[in-house]
Amino acid sequence: MESSILESIGVEIIGVMSPVSICMFLVVLLVYSLSSSSSPSSAVSDIRTAANLVYAENPSDTAAQKLEGALLNALVFVILIAIVTFLLLLLYYYNCTSFLKHYTRFSAFFVLGSMGGSIFLSLIQRFSIPVDSVTCFILLFNFTVVGVLSVFGSGIPILVRQSYMVCLGISVAAWLTKLPEWTTWVLLVALAVYDLVAVLAPGGPLKLLVELASSRNEELPALIYEARPTTVPRAGSRGGTSLGLLVTGVTAGEPSAAPSSSSSSAIELQAVSRDNKDRNVNDNLNENRDYGGNEYSVVPMGGFGGERGQGGRDDAEERSPLVRNSHGDGESGIVDEERHEGNGNRGGDEEIAERGIKLGLGDFVFYSVLVGRAAMYDLMTVYACYLAIISGLGCTLILLSVCRRALPALPISITLGVVFYFLTRLLMEPFIVGTATNLMMF
Amino acid sequence: MTVAAGIGYVLIALGPSLSIFVSVISKKPFLILTVLSSTLLWLMSLIALSGIWRGFLPLKTTSWWPYAILILSSIAFQEALRLLFWKIYKRLEDTLDAFADRVAKPHLFLTDKMLIALASGLGHGLAHAVFFCISLLTPAFGPATYFVEQCSKVPFFLLSALIALAFVTIHTFSMVIAFNGYAEGNQVDKYFVPVVHVVAGVLTLINLAPGGCTVGIPLLYVVAILTLIHCGRMVWRRLLTENRISLNHS
Repeated sequence: MESSILESIGVEIIGVMSPVSICMFLVVLLVYSLSSSSSPSSAVSDIRTAANLVYAENPSDTAAQKLEGALLNALVFVILIAIVTFLLLLLYYYNCTSFLKHYTRFSAFFVLGSMGGSIFLSLIQRFSIPVDSVTCFILLFNFTVVGVLSVFGSGIPILVRQSYMVCLGISVAAWLTKLPEWTTWVLLVALAVYDLVAVLAPGGPLKLLVELASSRNEELPALIYEARPTTVPRAGSRGGTSLGLLVTGVTAGEPSAAPSSSSSSAIELQAVSRDNKDRNVNDNLNENRDYGGNEYSVVPMGGFGGERGQGGRDDAEERSPLVRNSHGDGESGIVDEERHEGNGNRGGDEEIAERGIKLGLGDFVFYSVLVGRAAMYDLMTVYACYLAIISGLGCTLILLSVCRRALPALPISITLGVVFYFLTRLLMEPFIVGTATNLMMF
Repeated sequence: MTVAAGIGYVLIALGPSLSIFVSVISKKPFLILTVLSSTLLWLMSLIALSGIWRGFLPLKTTSWWPYAILILSSIAFQEALRLLFWKIYKRLEDTLDAFADRVAKPHLFLTDKMLIALASGLGHGLAHAVFFCISLLTPAFGPATYFVEQCSKVPFFLLSALIALAFVTIHTFSMVIAFNGYAEGNQVDKYFVPVVHVVAGVLTLINLAPGGCTVGIPLLYVVAILTLIHCGRMVWRRLLTENRISLNHS
């Protein structure tokens, strides 16, 4: 009996939703295990970041003061991110690609080392794990170095790379949940709006970046999560990473920049042809759209011991567009296409394509920040926000397949998440808790 | 009552659905998406209901009929939503069949349709368990426990986990029955599901009376087992007739 279509529909969507779910779940776990130990006030006062520059929230301020301060904070943060994006655009325009590559490698090292390290330390303190500092340092160093290698190097198993991507997302998200509450919510909304503007408005930096990259037919330096490994040995391969194989187009022998990556946030639907001979492969992949870099910035705060951090690097995180690689089949909907495994020499016009979705790292981070902040209130809000974000992600993917142009990944999910959080907190909780504690359920 | 007890309560409420998920649903990505979307729909219905009822809460009466109105209205709303879900599913089925034609695969089999119905029901059940039971379990991971007046012999968490288990079963399998009833036009099946839901909801009202849970919860389980049996018989019958038809044709 032939297999039904139910076997294969929606594989890539799940391939993207599972790491997002895992990241959110782990961030929630971290928030629960680490916040129960320390008192909230001490954690808040330790963090002095780019998002906190203007106004440090104090629990005793009035609501109006808090709102105003949070708005100022968010404004400053967004402006910082916009500046850094333009900087990235400028650097990319002048072809300083290797600088960008090395910069993103360094930023990955730094994030895994400092933020990952501080999370490890908090965990060790919380669970009283008996480990000495030398061992801890060696383990952390190894972890960080393997992380840097796996994120950009070739020849690393895809699972390792995916796990390190998720780890990067978890580290930043767990750290960002330490921001005060009002600032977090306003910041999330501001970033969603910024993402929308930066990708869709005519002068938006990410849009310019995408156009620049596609006009050069190159790949931007970006940190991207790939949901599907490509195991295709391509003739004339540049020896780049599978990232490069996935992203660079189909046309044979197309020169592509070395696939460097810095962090990015976007979703990309890729169809990569297995056969890169220049036969009729391109009725499918006509363009090779890459997408905007996501610059990664962190203002160092109390890293290891709660000390005040000084200067250091300034990283800003931006959102990047959702780009779709149009698969010229006229496929509608987000469903997968038949994957034909085939050998290299196929005559005729049956195309061999393998799809993979790529999601930028910033999306992971901000989804997890939202869910982590919801976790600080209650489990009900966590679940509601999780469902909202996942459905927003699904909607965005559907829109992507319909619109076929660069789309931002944050706005729909963040909007739905924030709306559901406040609705659940204000409306649903009294209702449900009231009926459930009376043992009345339906 | 410590982490072990907390995990125990979670598994009591969600254990069977977890095994269904791992064994049946996780193999097909589309079913996972179905679970997620039906959970979302149930959540939205809960939010809508709580929006409507928010003005009247907290109910400070000791009589039972305001609660009865609450439950009946909520159940009516959710049954209407089930009908809506069925309509969406019909359209989805057409889209899937058209897609299957395009990639030269057969149309959806009966087992596929039942699997989709099972996944939607599981989504509803999961949402119920999470919102009514799991989200209240956070104190259970700590050092103490909590008792309710009406049922003071058993910890509250255990009671809510048991009730959640019964409701998960009811929701999961009544969706299968409902979809099959709508597809076949079978009146018995079509009305079986709302009736069962109402009966189950009303049975939990018994829990309001002191000592009522010793009566209410076993009756709830009777209803759940009834749903299971009915679903099993219906699926068996349909599969047999389908097989007989396909054997006759081939």
